[in-house]
Amino acid sequence: MSAVDMPDKKAQGTKLRAKALKVRDHANPASAIATFLLPALLIYAALTALPVFRTFYNSTHLVVPNRAAEWVGFTHYIDLWTDRIFWKAVGNTLTWAAAAPLLEVSIATILALALYAKVPFARFLRVAWFTPVLMSYVVVGILWMWIYNFEWGALNTFLRFVGLGDLAQAWLAQPDTALPSLIAVTTWMWTGFNMVVILAAMSSLPSEVLEAAELDNCGWFAKLWFVILPLIRPTLLNLIVLSFIGKMKIFDLVWVTTQGNPLWATETVSTYVYKRAFQWNTFDLGYPSAIAVIWFVIVMIGVLSLTFLFKQSDKVEY
Amino acid sequence: MRTTGLATPADQHRVSSRLRNLALIIGLALYTMYAAGPFAWVALMSLRTTTEIAADPYALPWPMHWDKFLSAWVDSNYDVYFLNSVTIVLSAVAILTVVGGMAAHCFARYTFRFKGLLYFLIFSTIIFPPQVTVIGLFQILVEYGLFNNRLGLVLVYVSIQMPITIYILEAFFARIPNDLFDAARMDGYSEWEIFWKISFPVALPAISTTIILNTILLWNEFLYAVVLISDDDKRTLPLGVLRFMGDQLEDVGMLATGLMIAIVPVVLIYIFFSERLIQGMTAGAVK
Repeated sequence: MSAVDMPDKKAQGTKLRAKALKVRDHANPASAIATFLLPALLIYAALTALPVFRTFYNSTHLVVPNRAAEWVGFTHYIDLWTDRIFWKAVGNTLTWAAAAPLLEVSIATILALALYAKVPFARFLRVAWFTPVLMSYVVVGILWMWIYNFEWGALNTFLRFVGLGDLAQAWLAQPDTALPSLIAVTTWMWTGFNMVVILAAMSSLPSEVLEAAELDNCGWFAKLWFVILPLIRPTLLNLIVLSFIGKMKIFDLVWVTTQGNPLWATETVSTYVYKRAFQWNTFDLGYPSAIAVIWFVIVMIGVLSLTFLFKQSDKVEY
Repeated sequence: MRTTGLATPADQHRVSSRLRNLALIIGLALYTMYAAGPFAWVALMSLRTTTEIAADPYALPWPMHWDKFLSAWVDSNYDVYFLNSVTIVLSAVAILTVVGGMAAHCFARYTFRFKGLLYFLIFSTIIFPPQVTVIGLFQILVEYGLFNNRLGLVLVYVSIQMPITIYILEAFFARIPNDLFDAARMDGYSEWEIFWKISFPVALPAISTTIILNTILLWNEFLYAVVLISDDDKRTLPLGVLRFMGDQLEDVGMLATGLMIAIVPVVLIYIFFSERLIQGMTAGAVK
């Protein structure tokens, strides 16, 4: 059968090709497409794709300066399995990536509602809440180290002022308060940003629906729960995914404030990769590359399953 | 009939709604303190000397020491860091705007083979954790002599901001009506002229959005800079601030001045272009 079909298909193929050669596609000139795309593709290939392949290659090699990379198979991955600092870092990062999106998005929703309900000074409040996200993590880190300072930091001063002086402590120096303190910093930074996005989504809601709800004598809370939140749900879910991705990458803030201390209580995967690659004098880029590869896979799985989960629950409800 | 002040249901209702409002106002005030307080605090400290701060960290800056900005600028190498940041960020943003604009125009305007695949490949890097590129980048830049080199950092910055730039611009370019391009073609415009004289000017709002967004994100960038730059005179501002902290850990007043120098440009951009900036930052969040 195929023997009969083949020449036919081949003839068709050559005919198409001849047609393509004869009739130049004026709407899609190949030379213009190539010129427009080439610079971006070159940069992408050289500085994104190649480094990623390089990291994957590294992860199965011993990469020491001034020597050819030596194939070690999956030894790095096996070592990783028993590396307790790595698992501690994974735990910390996942805690961060799970807690921060919920905190940010829920507080941001409340704040956005307040602005949506037109509290006084809304313009000023919007600016004041949004500003933290504009600052560099380096600036933010130094600033919050002062705020968490035991003797004269703003947090302890406030606690002593309201009579809760017993609670005053060295927030970043104790294993059990260090990570929550840093999570509070990212929440401080990103809640305003989330609020602005949610407010934009609320403002673009169709007014007919809200008026209909009011005609039905819907209370404030019912209106929020049954009308507003379901309608802005896609925005909220997007923000959760976005915040999740951001926290899985977190490096700068930890590096500036605690560098993973005390006792690895704030070590994240990013800081651990950096330490193993550029700070500890192990001079091997293979092992941190293996961590990066594993983390890459975990982030991908996380993002895909979150997206899948949200899609599924959409199907159930509508 | 009224006996006590809170007897009737109407009164109770009024009181409870007032209480609720009061709780709301207190909540918002506390949150505003948490959100804006740190910034206000560092702004006040930047005008006070360390001795004054040690005496009372929360007093008002009186007299104001504006000269601290000058001495941070001159004595602590801030002029070098600032200039490095400005040149690196502006060059990266300029290249990004042209190269990203060209690619976005191409994706929006033409159909070609592997278009979907290419777009997916470029776009998917938005969710890549940076660790997976940073080690390979370090090796590659060392091999090409671009490690510890401002040009190398510029190229890396172009590559990390490319996906979001193409994403924002493509969405805008795709909305420009096709008739405009057909008309231009009739008038004998070349494809390059169509991009440069039609797409680009029409898309100016989106382009300014990406310019502002990229400027702020790269101005604050830290991870790639700390890995790829090692000489003091090539440091960008975030690295300079961190180094300054290492040197002068106890000199809180001077450090606060240093922080303000890093914050002020960004806040100025925000004040003048807040709408554009917010558009850019939310572009990724609202599909």
